[in-house]
Amino acid sequence: MASVTFEHVTKRFGDVVAVNDLNIHIADREFLVFVGPSGCGKTTSLRMLAGLEEVTEGNIYIGDRIVNDVPPKDRNIAMVFQSYALYPHMSVYDNMAFALRMQKMPKDEIDRRVRDAARRLGIENLLDRKPKQLSGGQRQRVAVGRAIVRNPAVFLMDEPLSNLDAKLRVQARAEISKLHMQLGTTFIYVTHDQTEAMTMGTRIAVMKDGVLQQVDTPQNLYERPDNVFVAGFIGSPSMNFFDATITTNGTDLFVDTGAFRVKIPENRVAPYRAHVGRQVIFGIRPEDCHDPEYAPPGVHQALVEARVEVVEMLGHEVILYLVAGGSQSFLARVDPRTKARVGNTIAIAMNMDNMHIFDKQTERAIREEGLAPAPIPVQQKV
Amino acid sequence: MAIARPALAAPVVRRRVLHRDRLIAVFMLLPSIIAIAVFVYGFIAYTAYVSMSNYTTARIDLSFVGLDHYVRLFGERRFQENIRNLVVFTLMFLAVCLVFGLVLALMVDARVKGESLFRSIYLFPMAISFIVTGVAWRWLFTPGDLEPTGINLLLERIGLGFLKARWITDTSVWPNLEVPGLKVRLMVPLAIVPVVIAAVWQMSGFAMAMFLAGLRSIPEEIKEAARVDGCSEWQLLRYIVLPMLRPVTLSAIVVLTHVSLKTFDLIMTMTGGGPGNKTELPSLYMYELRFSQFNTAQAAAVAMILLILVSLLTVPYLLYNRRAQSVEQ
Repeated sequence: MASVTFEHVTKRFGDVVAVNDLNIHIADREFLVFVGPSGCGKTTSLRMLAGLEEVTEGNIYIGDRIVNDVPPKDRNIAMVFQSYALYPHMSVYDNMAFALRMQKMPKDEIDRRVRDAARRLGIENLLDRKPKQLSGGQRQRVAVGRAIVRNPAVFLMDEPLSNLDAKLRVQARAEISKLHMQLGTTFIYVTHDQTEAMTMGTRIAVMKDGVLQQVDTPQNLYERPDNVFVAGFIGSPSMNFFDATITTNGTDLFVDTGAFRVKIPENRVAPYRAHVGRQVIFGIRPEDCHDPEYAPPGVHQALVEARVEVVEMLGHEVILYLVAGGSQSFLARVDPRTKARVGNTIAIAMNMDNMHIFDKQTERAIREEGLAPAPIPVQQKV
Repeated sequence: MAIARPALAAPVVRRRVLHRDRLIAVFMLLPSIIAIAVFVYGFIAYTAYVSMSNYTTARIDLSFVGLDHYVRLFGERRFQENIRNLVVFTLMFLAVCLVFGLVLALMVDARVKGESLFRSIYLFPMAISFIVTGVAWRWLFTPGDLEPTGINLLLERIGLGFLKARWITDTSVWPNLEVPGLKVRLMVPLAIVPVVIAAVWQMSGFAMAMFLAGLRSIPEEIKEAARVDGCSEWQLLRYIVLPMLRPVTLSAIVVLTHVSLKTFDLIMTMTGGGPGNKTELPSLYMYELRFSQFNTAQAAAVAMILLILVSLLTVPYLLYNRRAQSVEQ
């Protein structure tokens, strides 16, 4: 068990900056998820921690020890790879026992640990098989088993579920979360799938172009995204954005997108007073756009007229593809009882308590003093 | 009736063995089937028959004499020497070739600068015929009578004169074991060492290419997993890379061994089988039996023995490959 710290870590491949000044402290027993689109530097960060890539600048700590120059085998980490990377010439048992044999552990202790892990993962009956004879889900379990027998200080997982089909993935997700609770070890998990990140992580680090955008709990990322990228990346379908101006009639503040104008609730106007007349980005999630008939009570609503282009019935909800003012398209997740039909013009109730306003220039959330998002390092020119 | 027809027609067509497509396929394949049947299997059968006939002079005499020629061959001192030389040559050639090939492949795979240049340099000797190799290495390994030549000259010039040897003119066998019942002394005829060196020079590039392909097919993630699992680079080679190269190694062994069993031109040009048959292989003896002594039956017997040796090697390999393929399907 150990904490992990990235301190001003930068990784360059030639002229390409893969990870730029990464600073993050991961506490002992935490489940931290690195998430971001492909090429954002999340896997490179994990591989630097594993010792499979060298650090160009900065320090990585496991516990109190700087591990920059420590070879992978001496870092006391275990890693689950995207392809599982099982040894094809060894049985499941030997795959799981391999790391322990390298440590010259006594045979009976190896046997105890392998069987224990196999029982925990439900793969006891597969111990004699070769990886080729296993299904994708079984291979994934063996890869996890190979990691847990070692009882490492830190677990690293690089997209371990991306080769599974959708149904199995949901199941495996829950199993890995359960495993984290049982083992009480630090887990660091890389994925491009925001649903995986939201459901599994105790904290999530969102990355883009090698730069850490925001680290926070899933709920905070969802409710208080620091910038347009995080706001758009977390949540599905993603947040609706509108270019807008903040206007005032003397007392109240409004967001004016050209297509519609909505009032900012009184209790939230404070940070925006200074931005009156300025260009902003207005963000509202599809789940905060309701059919007025079924809108939740007790929230500040703003009604917007929109034409229905597409209706997607999902059973427990309906996704409406809407166009306001002839050009501003957006999505709404509404109650399945809605009477909206394609071609109709209907009113949409936006829950303004959950709106987001970002600076047009910096794309950072506009908040009250003291709550402003942490600055993001400027991309270095190499 | 009209509606029922298509349903009835389908099974009838399937039951006809020689419908149009299959007939065309058979006709297309027939010429090569006939050619192989006559010119490969037909002549193998004919050779087998000749080897049991009395065709021992220039006059054709196909009367049956049974296994006489085989019995005589195995009792001959010269053929026993041939077999000894063949075993020694094959084992040394194979071992050195595989080790050399593996080391070269590992070095090239380490992604040194100019990798493709090295690869081409090592592969280049394969493009040369064994005849040229044999002639060139004969010059190098001729010790010289009064003045040293070739390798000996080189050794003397660089101050390693004590390493000078008689190379392809050395008639000694080391350690010259006597085995009751055999007419030859066992172990390594020293004159065969230069021949092995020449053969290795020519073929280790091939072993390297095979190993290199094998190394490249090992996913990087598996090596990384092993490093995270606690392997040093040496252990990685020992426990992961070498076991994963097993199929490639097996193929290389089969190919190199059958090349070695059939070696003729290299030895013909390099030593001509000498000195005193110390480097003669069955293939050379077969040539001499047929074309100098006109003893066709005896030559055919040697050919059959070589065929059996090659089959012992390749047939299990082909069966193994077929089984491996059907398991994968």
